[in-house]
Amino acid sequence: MLTYVLFALVVGSIYALLAQSLMLSWGLAGLVNLGLAGFFALGAYASATSTTWGHVPVPVGIALAVVAAAAAGFVVCVSTLRLRDDYLAIVTLGFAEVVRIVASNEVWLTGGTDGISGVPVLVPRSAGLGFHAGTLAIVAVAVAIVYALQRRLLLSPWGRALRAIREDQIVAAVAGKSVVRFKAEAFCLACAIAGLAGALYGHYTSYVAPDQFQPLVSIYIFLAVTAGGKARPAGPVVGAYALVAFLEATRFAGELIPGVSPVQAAALREILVGLGLLVVLGLRPEGLLPERSQKAPAP
Amino acid sequence: MTFLDRRRVLQAGAVLAGALAAPALLRAQSGPIRLGTLTPLTGAGGSYGPAMATTVRRAADEINKAGGVLGRELLIISEDDQTSPEAGLRAIRKLIDVDKVSAVIGTWASSVTTAVAPVCWESGTFLATVSGADSITLLPHRGYLIRTQPNTTLQGRKFGGFALEIGAKTVAFVSPQTPFSDSQYAELGKTVEAGGGRTTKLIYDDKKTTLRTEVDAVLRGKPDAIVMGGYTNDTAILVRDLYRANYKGRLLGFGFAINKQLVEALPAEVSEGILTLSPSAAEGSDGYKHVARLLGTDSPDPYSCQVYDHLNLVALAMAAGRGDTGTVIKDTVRTVSQGGGERVDSAVEGLKRLAAGAKVDYDGASGPCDFTPIGDITDSRFRYEEVKGGRITLLKIA
Repeated sequence: MLTYVLFALVVGSIYALLAQSLMLSWGLAGLVNLGLAGFFALGAYASATSTTWGHVPVPVGIALAVVAAAAAGFVVCVSTLRLRDDYLAIVTLGFAEVVRIVASNEVWLTGGTDGISGVPVLVPRSAGLGFHAGTLAIVAVAVAIVYALQRRLLLSPWGRALRAIREDQIVAAVAGKSVVRFKAEAFCLACAIAGLAGALYGHYTSYVAPDQFQPLVSIYIFLAVTAGGKARPAGPVVGAYALVAFLEATRFAGELIPGVSPVQAAALREILVGLGLLVVLGLRPEGLLPERSQKAPAP
Repeated sequence: MTFLDRRRVLQAGAVLAGALAAPALLRAQSGPIRLGTLTPLTGAGGSYGPAMATTVRRAADEINKAGGVLGRELLIISEDDQTSPEAGLRAIRKLIDVDKVSAVIGTWASSVTTAVAPVCWESGTFLATVSGADSITLLPHRGYLIRTQPNTTLQGRKFGGFALEIGAKTVAFVSPQTPFSDSQYAELGKTVEAGGGRTTKLIYDDKKTTLRTEVDAVLRGKPDAIVMGGYTNDTAILVRDLYRANYKGRLLGFGFAINKQLVEALPAEVSEGILTLSPSAAEGSDGYKHVARLLGTDSPDPYSCQVYDHLNLVALAMAAGRGDTGTVIKDTVRTVSQGGGERVDSAVEGLKRLAAGAKVDYDGASGPCDFTPIGDITDSRFRYEEVKGGRITLLKIA
């Protein structure tokens, strides 16, 4: 049981990192990134290939993953400068599919649909429970660091400018803010966080394959961020852990209802996830932790 | 609130946790033997998984009615892998850590099996799978994994032979990217070229809703026969688009893709003449009829037959090894699956013989179920079928 709880917490932490990435790009900068799974995959592949086949140390692999995802984020952002809202969402969704299809077909680079197994781990597996606990500690520290940095960014003039751009980019431009630069910075940073999440996930499960990065992951993270609150660093973190708790709890709920076949239970789970979101949005349209309005600094 | 200091709360918490854990500790020793199924109930494999889970449940009910294994009932816990390695991993963690199952039956997609297999061998849980990718049995699984699906090298060779048999000289292999498409094409190519033919390959994306461009590209090579390597959903699209493009050659596909569901979904003239090849469920055998009865259908799919065999093998291995752990199953499964003894085709019958002190050799619904040291089946017969007038009809079993 303990292993299972630790495992769920690690997955929750990975989701929390992804959710923070989405908060930065979507909640603060207004850039809808439906391609989150693509950047997640990119990070996982960058670290898995470099550590498994290139034999670089794991921390170097993770750093490479962050850089690779940020670089890809930069390319996507620059090539979509004139797009906002729905249009950007479609392009990023396409990007994630491109990553998945390249990963499936470029066997020389990614191992194809066989995936990469035997990815080095963060803590030796022989440590048993220590493996899960140790990994959880590392991943939780990553969540905490990203959280602290995001809070700092949000309170800084940079964060204020970003939110101004989200509300009205023309006004922000008139006020002398470089809209393009702010958006590119925010998007790259967000992608770097997603890459970090991918690298940590690959090093925890020791297996990276294209099927792991289906659009479903992006949708789950959107759920987590919407439920938690999309414009406050604590929101997505709470939302992500709550989502994983909810997803796992529904497994047990299915067993408690008598006369439900496994297929019906699986369908019920998906219905419950949808219902859960409706309830949260009905009661708290801004999410569990809505955005705080910042007071203007004293003159 | 002065009487509720922190120390008391901690003490009470510890007692409560202990009390809650106690039934679990007792349960591990007696009570039902817990087994898990991990099949795709939703996602791309959603058309196969439900029947697999149902088969295992119903077969376990029969064993329980006949007295269970080692005097204990089998309790089947079914989880959904959503045809995704990420979701599958979460599900198997729950099966192993919370439900404490000693064996997991039925992983279907090769990527899911590859993702969950390490969790199984590290925790000493036995895994029986229907995935076909060659790489799976090459994992360092220390014996904790068996599969009843013939590996894809063998299937590719059979497809090549079949294509030559119907007189095809130019064979196109059209498949989505899967862990087995490469090895299958390599074997298919070798066989066809040895027979003086020529092969081409085209890989498509199985999530597309139309394959017109792919079909045009394939037909440019004027193939006499097209071997389709996909699953039901994408194969249906491919067959439909080939019909629209007025293709007149022969179509060959896997039995698991060209199934009743596909034939019913397409008009009879579209599916007319498709040839299929599948690892033969031992049709006509009592095991096969048994699965048909359990599912209430005439022709159970090969995966249901395989998971039925998985459950029976697991039950017999536990009885033969007189234990309920994955390690016991691993150590004894080959003593009940092969090596001579009284032939049995159901666990109920086999358990009786074992109790009487006999040695058994299980031959099941999917075939003889004999395994190599790395967990592949040693022998498999194939079933050749053709779609005629909207019905799948048997040509031969060889």
